[in-house]
Amino acid sequence: MTERHQAAAARLLEAYASGRPCEPVRDLIDGVDDAYAVQNLVTERWLSQGRRLAGRKIGLTSKAVQRQLGVDSPDFGMLFADMAVPDGEEIPVGAVLQPRAEAEVALVLDRDLTHERHTVADVIRAAAFALPAIEIVGSRVRDWDITLADTVADNASSGMYVLGNRPVSLRDVDLRMAGMVIERRGDQVSSGIGAACLGHPLHAAVWLADTLVRLGRPLQAGDTVLTGALGPVVPVAPGDVLEARIDGLGDVRAAFAAEKSAEEEV
Amino acid sequence: MNPRLTAFAETLDEAVLNRRAVPRLTDTAPLDVAEAYEVQRAVIERRRARGEALIGVKMGFTSRAKMVQMGVDDVIWGLLTDAMLIESHLDTAGLIHPRIEPEIAFLLDRPVRTPADAVAAIGGIAVGYEVLDSRYEGFSFTLADVVADNASASGFGLGPWHRPKDVGNVGMLLEIDGRAVASGSSAAILGDPLRSLNAAARLACAAGIELQPGWVVLAGAATAAVPLPSGAHVRVSAAGLGHVEVTTR
Repeated sequence: MTERHQAAAARLLEAYASGRPCEPVRDLIDGVDDAYAVQNLVTERWLSQGRRLAGRKIGLTSKAVQRQLGVDSPDFGMLFADMAVPDGEEIPVGAVLQPRAEAEVALVLDRDLTHERHTVADVIRAAAFALPAIEIVGSRVRDWDITLADTVADNASSGMYVLGNRPVSLRDVDLRMAGMVIERRGDQVSSGIGAACLGHPLHAAVWLADTLVRLGRPLQAGDTVLTGALGPVVPVAPGDVLEARIDGLGDVRAAFAAEKSAEEEV
Repeated sequence: MNPRLTAFAETLDEAVLNRRAVPRLTDTAPLDVAEAYEVQRAVIERRRARGEALIGVKMGFTSRAKMVQMGVDDVIWGLLTDAMLIESHLDTAGLIHPRIEPEIAFLLDRPVRTPADAVAAIGGIAVGYEVLDSRYEGFSFTLADVVADNASASGFGLGPWHRPKDVGNVGMLLEIDGRAVASGSSAAILGDPLRSLNAAARLACAAGIELQPGWVVLAGAATAAVPLPSGAHVRVSAAGLGHVEVTTR
């Protein structure tokens, strides 16, 4: 069993290293627990290389996406500090395999969340502030041909993320009714609402806190939590600049570098 | 008026009165979009002859997804009469296959003589809903069919008017019997409902219709339309604009 997990992890790590997407890993995985075991193997590898864990992302938070994958629960992946990009700074071509973008509410914690079961009150107390965020998801799996097992093993299809720079207290924003829009060159390319994320982004955070305690790596003070998409994901192309606005939280930009120049491609 | 178009108007008007869906007009005879607007106008004239008064316009195909689906690159519009305004109750037995969608509405407090007047003419902004009820079998139509059918307009309701403010990206929620069934942002309406208001002014001016003080412009939907059941309580809310409710029988 563990050998199959190692093989799945190796397949994914090879895709990262080569920049070429791999075949799905579901043939090596029997269930969602197995998939998290594979994710954890990759995480341990990265931690041993000195990457700093900066938080978590929650995925599969919309009813539409859950229906598409035939699941009734969200999933999560690891955020490392080197995956964070400053607002508007260029993201190099190839930095994320098969990139797509979505707008999310980010929560930044100033308390650990270590209870077996958390309430919304626990999460509100632990959240120092919220920020608008763009998550650039990606897939190491060829053509995004993923099942739940594939995406969980593949770090919940994490890529990079951009955080806005103006913290907002949860007391000053209605996250349930907050509108979201993503624009590219003035054209609206995605729109949504806070309620589209499991009914409320804080509900997703409660799920994450409970799940992480069960799996033995709880959320800690300082962690950033990307709570899940507020609307449809947007495919991105080299040269795109996406601006996301979340009503009450402000705006944030993801800028993708144009194609590599000839000398860079040597 | 071309007798073919007069006959089309009669077909659509009687479909409403008889609560019976009809085959698509374009399945029976040719119809282009310019002619379709003539049919739309003729249907409204028949309603005015029965005592209804024009009180506004509605915009359709204001979402990118809908434009792509219909293969068009501009919005369409329809006309609203006072008989379409729903207070707090609606008997769905009078309808064919109603759907409902959350809308942003503008109230005009001065005439719009040129497209440039539109934004300055805003007297109020409200959350609203529109009840759509295509007169066509299976809610299926081409662009010309839906234009002739007054952009599927059937009825609409309005929440409390608010003073003009930014409604470019407010969350909107459609709940049926307390459960959220559709949600989105007003930004789904052409990126900002103001763009839809400007389009309404442009299309009205081009058609020689002056938008009047007191008229309502339904700017478009923040989500796809959902089937409207009977015996239901529906609430549509928008952040900062409160909500509007309707109970169906």
